[in-house]
Amino acid sequence: MKAIHSIANSLVLFISLCMSFSVFAADQAGLDAEIEELKAEVIELNRDLFDLEEQLLYPATTSFAVFVSMDAVPDFEIQAVKLNLDEQDVTSHIYRAEQVEALRRGGIQKIYAGNLKPGMHNLKAEIVGKDRDGRPVKRMVVADFGKARSSKYLEVKISNNPNQNKPDFAIVEWK
Amino acid sequence: MRWFIWLLILSPVAFGDDLLPDERRAIARDPIYGQAVYSLHAGEYDKALGFNYQLRKQGRKGYGRILDIHEATAQLGLGMSQHAQKQYKRLLSDSRVSFLPAPARAQAWFYMAKHFYNKGLWASALTAIRKVKSAHIADDLKDEYHFLATTLELFKGKPAKADQHILAINPDSKWAVYAYMNLAVSYTERDVHISKVEAVFNKALLLTSNTDKPEALADKINLMAGKFFYATGRGRSAIKHLKSVSLDGAYTPKALLTYGWALTEQWQYHDALQPWYMLKTNHSALNQDVQETLIAIPHLLEKLNAKVMALGAFDYATEQFDDIYRQLGESATRLNTGEFIEPLMKQQVSDRWGAFESVDLSLPNHPDQIYLKDVMSQGYFQGELKNLRDLHVMRSQLQFARTDLKAFDIIAQTRKDEYQIIKKEAQVSKHQAHLSDLESRYKKLLSRINKAFKNPDGSGLASEPEKDQLASFKGVSKQINELSKRSSLIEASYSDRLRRVEGVLKWTLSERYNERKKQVSQNLALLEDKIRQTKKQFKAAQYAYQVAPKTFNGFKQKIQILDQTYQQQLAKLDKVYYKQREKVGSIVKVDIKKRQQRVMDYQLQARLAAARLFDETSNKQRIVTGEVRQ
Repeated sequence: MKAIHSIANSLVLFISLCMSFSVFAADQAGLDAEIEELKAEVIELNRDLFDLEEQLLYPATTSFAVFVSMDAVPDFEIQAVKLNLDEQDVTSHIYRAEQVEALRRGGIQKIYAGNLKPGMHNLKAEIVGKDRDGRPVKRMVVADFGKARSSKYLEVKISNNPNQNKPDFAIVEWK
Repeated sequence: MRWFIWLLILSPVAFGDDLLPDERRAIARDPIYGQAVYSLHAGEYDKALGFNYQLRKQGRKGYGRILDIHEATAQLGLGMSQHAQKQYKRLLSDSRVSFLPAPARAQAWFYMAKHFYNKGLWASALTAIRKVKSAHIADDLKDEYHFLATTLELFKGKPAKADQHILAINPDSKWAVYAYMNLAVSYTERDVHISKVEAVFNKALLLTSNTDKPEALADKINLMAGKFFYATGRGRSAIKHLKSVSLDGAYTPKALLTYGWALTEQWQYHDALQPWYMLKTNHSALNQDVQETLIAIPHLLEKLNAKVMALGAFDYATEQFDDIYRQLGESATRLNTGEFIEPLMKQQVSDRWGAFESVDLSLPNHPDQIYLKDVMSQGYFQGELKNLRDLHVMRSQLQFARTDLKAFDIIAQTRKDEYQIIKKEAQVSKHQAHLSDLESRYKKLLSRINKAFKNPDGSGLASEPEKDQLASFKGVSKQINELSKRSSLIEASYSDRLRRVEGVLKWTLSERYNERKKQVSQNLALLEDKIRQTKKQFKAAQYAYQVAPKTFNGFKQKIQILDQTYQQQLAKLDKVYYKQREKVGSIVKVDIKKRQQRVMDYQLQARLAAARLFDETSNKQRIVTGEVRQ
């Protein structure tokens, strides 16, 4: 009888140990899932905040943005871009290696967002980089453009000129 | 032996963007898609995922499965492995993925396999790598592909299949070295004959010259080979490999320790002391290899019959173990009070997070610095600490976002106030009244002008006496005409004189007409200009009035809702953060406990050995003294 009692006791202990272990393991897996869920929620929330910011700070009637894009140009590696809007320096950006690769692989960078009055304006973009042999390259592109009462998007476009095997720099308006 | 495999995950850190096939350009200049691609390739995974959510929310079509691939990649980059795994599995099992050309598809499968491999999901990696059609894989990826296939087949698939992959690797490629290393490990696991294992290790060593860091890799291979041969009782082979490990590398402590043991096994006790002394002198006592040396040296001295020296060494080791035990205890206390993890979290960069961002471990002058680096070598701990860091970064992001929301609220309020002012000033109606006043003035002026300047002879501008004169000229002219009809005596000179007088007056009037017309034209132009300006002002006021309400209407409510959501999220995150801190803490606590236990064991051994040696040396002394007395 004593032996049966002790066996039963150890069985209960074993089961409770197993259960506590499985509860612990489930807790750990649950925590990981909880963290992932939180990450997804925070990212979505931050996106909502970003939307609100854009709508509030840059209303559709005055909003203005400049993008940078670059084709796979073999003879040019972008290093920095500086923007001058209506004779005022508004922004500049120095590129990391991954960002250069991101542009090469079809990405578009929003380099500047702001508000602009309707009327005529002038944008100058100074592009700094280096060529295949590591020699510095500096180009300036200029655009005069009109702004009506709707959003205006411009693109500083670096494309490959296959005839000369050299990069072409331009500012393009998005219609 | 399984831990060996983890040593072998040598492939350089693979970034999430590598997963993606060559991109097509952003469709029809879609800025959101373009920015999503940019963020993804630039390693800004949180932004990329945000853009991806936005694209899906807006129901943009025409992107096919590419958004799924982007999402999975960004999730992997952010350390959301479970989400990413689900997504990948869905993609892997989807036979309709047809938008990619064959080479790009092969590349995509390859990178997926690589990511699974790096995350330790080897079964999924094997499924993915088997989907790669080697004929379509790009030339610069071929060797890496065969390496990955070799490794996965060796450890998860069919080792026989690995042979054909390993033979396909270019021997000049760095991947050949890694493949041969993995083959050696696989041989050790499968009890393949020792000569074959040695041949493979030697082959790997020969090929190290093709890698970026040949010395470090050769050290690693030599250490692995040395440990393997030592474990299988082949001391000489072990010594040969361990001797080749450099003295100032990352593998030096382990190599010195194993070298010492291998020499001991060969009864070269004197020689074994040298690497252990070197290890003890040059490295911190918190290093576990050094701790092992502290207890091994006196045992060796005892073997060499230098018992007094051994006794001294045991005493020294006991003191050292006391000190180590105390330091570990202090670390555990700091852990309980948050002094250990919180300073570490505080110094993390606020926007650097995710699976590919390492945790900044530089805690200058912190007593737990060495311990932390040691414990960080465990992959599991690293993952958990990264999760904690991510939660910390997210918490600061949420707090920062709430500050932003407060600022937005102020902006909306300012705009509302501005609107109230605009409304109160009633600029539109004021400008409208002014404009209509000006317009009526203009009309009146115009009618008066038309009246005054109707006759270009200037008679409209004549004064009353001049009008009388003009009238009298007409009367005189009439009289002269009548008189001349009746009598021819009237001279023509009267008519001439009258015309001259009349001409003088008309000349004066015409001069006046020109002068006044010039003045009136100028005034009229001024008035027109004023009207034009007032019209512009009116339009501007009208526009401001129309636009003003739109810039704040509805925002207050949106801000409030978002702020509430942020608050809730913050509360939720705080709970998870503390749970995760507890988890990280418990890992460290268990680890510290284990380390303390090990130190205690060493200490016990040292005390017992010291007591035994003390007895032996004292007995010897007593015997010697007794012999002298006799």
